[in-house]
Amino acid sequence: MASMAHRILVAEDEGLAAMAIEDELLSHGYEVVLAPDGQAAMELAARQPPDLLLTDLRMPRLDGAGLIRALRAARPDLPVVVMTGYAPAGGQDAFRREGEAPVSLFSKPLDMDAVLAELRRLLPG
Amino acid sequence: MPNLAPPGVCMLLEPDLAWLHLLSDIGTGLAYFSIPAALVVFALRRRDLAYPWIFGLFALFIIACGATHFAHAWAMFYPNPLLEGLIKAFCAAVSIATAITLWPLLPRLLALPSPAALAREVEERRLAERRALDSEARTAAFIANLAEALFVLRVDQGGTRFVTETVNPAYERLFGLPASQVVGKDAQTGFIPGVTERVLPNWQRAVATGEVQRYEVEAETPHGHRLWQTVLVPMRNAAGEVDRLLGSARDVTETRRLQAGIVESARLATIGTMCAGLAHETSQPLNAAALWLRHARNAATGLMTEQGARLMAALNVIDSQLRRAGDLVSRIRGLATETGEAETFDAARVARAAVRIADGQYAPDDIALSFTAPSGPLPVTGSPARLEEAVLHLLSNARDAVLEARATDPAAPARIGVALREQGGRVVIEVRDSGPGVPDALRQSIFDPFFTTKDPGHGSGLGLSLAAAVARGMGGGIAVSNPPEGGACFTMTLVLSEPTAQGLMPLAVAC
Repeated sequence: MASMAHRILVAEDEGLAAMAIEDELLSHGYEVVLAPDGQAAMELAARQPPDLLLTDLRMPRLDGAGLIRALRAARPDLPVVVMTGYAPAGGQDAFRREGEAPVSLFSKPLDMDAVLAELRRLLPG
Repeated sequence: MPNLAPPGVCMLLEPDLAWLHLLSDIGTGLAYFSIPAALVVFALRRRDLAYPWIFGLFALFIIACGATHFAHAWAMFYPNPLLEGLIKAFCAAVSIATAITLWPLLPRLLALPSPAALAREVEERRLAERRALDSEARTAAFIANLAEALFVLRVDQGGTRFVTETVNPAYERLFGLPASQVVGKDAQTGFIPGVTERVLPNWQRAVATGEVQRYEVEAETPHGHRLWQTVLVPMRNAAGEVDRLLGSARDVTETRRLQAGIVESARLATIGTMCAGLAHETSQPLNAAALWLRHARNAATGLMTEQGARLMAALNVIDSQLRRAGDLVSRIRGLATETGEAETFDAARVARAAVRIADGQYAPDDIALSFTAPSGPLPVTGSPARLEEAVLHLLSNARDAVLEARATDPAAPARIGVALREQGGRVVIEVRDSGPGVPDALRQSIFDPFFTTKDPGHGSGLGLSLAAAVARGMGGGIAVSNPPEGGACFTMTLVLSEPTAQGLMPLAVAC
């Protein structure tokens, strides 16, 4: 079962929020890799390629937008869910380049049910 | 010519010579009696003559001389040396008096202007008058075309009454009062109602002190909201009393608006940055709390005890309060940023959609909602959803105002009117209500975040702020005024866009 589980890379600098998200995702059968910032997330993604990226925008070292760009350079179809305290100008199109899959945007505080529904949609089966 | 020969000698003369003497004396006498008559007629007709009495004196002297000639002629027939001598003596007296009077008078007579000199003087005066008229015409043209409003007040009844004597066209433009309505009228009753009481102390001070007064007035004129600076110069009459006030008023409405606009932009930028930071920083702990609350609820669901039920009830309260905080954060975020891609769309269609939504919502309140817009599209660029939200906030604010008026007077009119128009490259959206209006002091702060006059629990104080943010985001602004007919009028101005080549993009109102 574990080998079949979808691996989600969670990049979130707020430790308490990250722990709660991890618990929630684990309870829904996902494999979770936690990263405290964008740089750490990139290194972890290189070792354990994720099936989906769930990321904050404002993070130390490398921000969410930079992380999305870096990971999608290797995998343009990587599903990305953004959770942010900011509503960026240009909406979800702000992180998306030509030919890339759309980015799902959720504002904080997160509506976890909506996030879980989006994860099920992006990672079916 | 007096005859020195004794009377009767003439009889010894040749008769022909005697006739010569007789006829000459009679002719001279007649002529001497006729000349004074002409002189007297002349003197009586020409009342403007200098020294008219001299003509009387000349007349008397000539008559006296004439009388000596008649006396001589008479003496040729009835010699009377005594009578002839008396007449000559009278003639001599008058002649001498005339001669004595004439010499001292001569310099003064010479000093009288000659007709040519008079004509020259008349010409000079005519030229001077023309120069004065030209100068007056220049001054009049200058005053008529001056950008500043000019007015002259006559001080009556010792400074208790003021009458408007003159105003220039700039005055009519600034105050929206035609000259015919104010000139010659009492300045206190003829001026803008409600303003006179404020400026009157300045007028009275100018009269009392004789010093120049400077003051600034902000008021609603028939031409709308105006702010002007007046300089009042007291003018004194010959007796040294202030009998006129010369006023000039400069319209600084636009200047102040621009100055205020610059300050306001800086302030709004600060507010925007603050809102963004506040929303972000607050959302982090709220997010963690909400996630852990979920956790706690999952754990509590397993507890089937009474304590478990009480815990769940408490968690539900915390959940609803966190959601409330979350909603607030997202509204503050809305003030700070433009979301979604800008597109060009018809402002009238969006406003009409908002009015339709409001009409449905306000139906139970029995409020008459009207909508007017030009037949053609009014293209603007931005987010249609945000504009719709902004118009809905303005409508909701208007509804609250109408209900407030109704609370004090159940028979108060309940009208909300939305009108769109194009004006000088801008799209103007007006939302008018029949409520109590907005007090002057609140005109600026009413658009500040969290500013509200409503009771706690009614309105977040963010609606008008959001409408203002949307208007700014679309290259415009928002203002509020109290129209003369009552109520409040919120005016949103947006930049008019060039319609896109394909025509206006279809509406995608996501709400």
